[in-house]
Amino acid sequence: MPECRTKYFETMIYTEDSVIRLPNGLPGFELECEFVLIDQPLKRPLVFVQSLQTPDLCFLALPVLSVDAAYRLNICAEDLRVLGLDSSRQPLIGTEVACLVIIAFGADRLMTANLMAPLVINLGTRVGVQAIQTGCNYSHRHPLLAEEPEPVCS
Amino acid sequence: MLVVRRRQGESVLIGDDVEVVVLEAGVNRVKLGILAPREILVFRKELELTREQNRVAATADAVSLSQLASALGSLNLKPGVEEADRHL
Repeated sequence: MPECRTKYFETMIYTEDSVIRLPNGLPGFELECEFVLIDQPLKRPLVFVQSLQTPDLCFLALPVLSVDAAYRLNICAEDLRVLGLDSSRQPLIGTEVACLVIIAFGADRLMTANLMAPLVINLGTRVGVQAIQTGCNYSHRHPLLAEEPEPVCS
Repeated sequence: MLVVRRRQGESVLIGDDVEVVVLEAGVNRVKLGILAPREILVFRKELELTREQNRVAATADAVSLSQLASALGSLNLKPGVEEADRHL
């Protein structure tokens, strides 16, 4: 079984069926086309999106429905073609595609999820694309936690 | 910000060699045509925002991971819903 070096777990053995292929890479990382999805039972629902080319590149992601249960996909026809899906309708999350949102940590350590551009993966072919949603009002910096209430001085 | 009213088929010129043409104007959206030299990059702003967010996301480290892992318990996650995404 193949091995890869990872950012968070040193060297791991992976199976071919946990590999996803992104023909366009990710915006900002256009040459990174192969990732392995690492699922750590104790850290669910967190998913580690580990580059196979660059050990130090690993995105932390969450299934979109765990962040927003009412999330609606609006993938453009071009991205649906990359995914090899019917471009006349939106695919179903969970049965046809997996949909992950990438988590970023701001300078203030505020955790945000990019709901505007989820990583969509065709479950049949494991081909994925970071689909920039058009005509939607999802934020590229959706706060994961509501702000802590201000401490009250007595 | 400079505001210019244009109708379908009209255009604006930016500098010496960029032309933005309004191809279609609808209620909620417009279709623009952009004529520019090859060396000028043209892309939707959402792409640049996502590029920036991805670069920030790539700098996550073990501290971010433990921060996120400990926050997951307090996130209002829907059990069961995410299982569908777990067939990967």
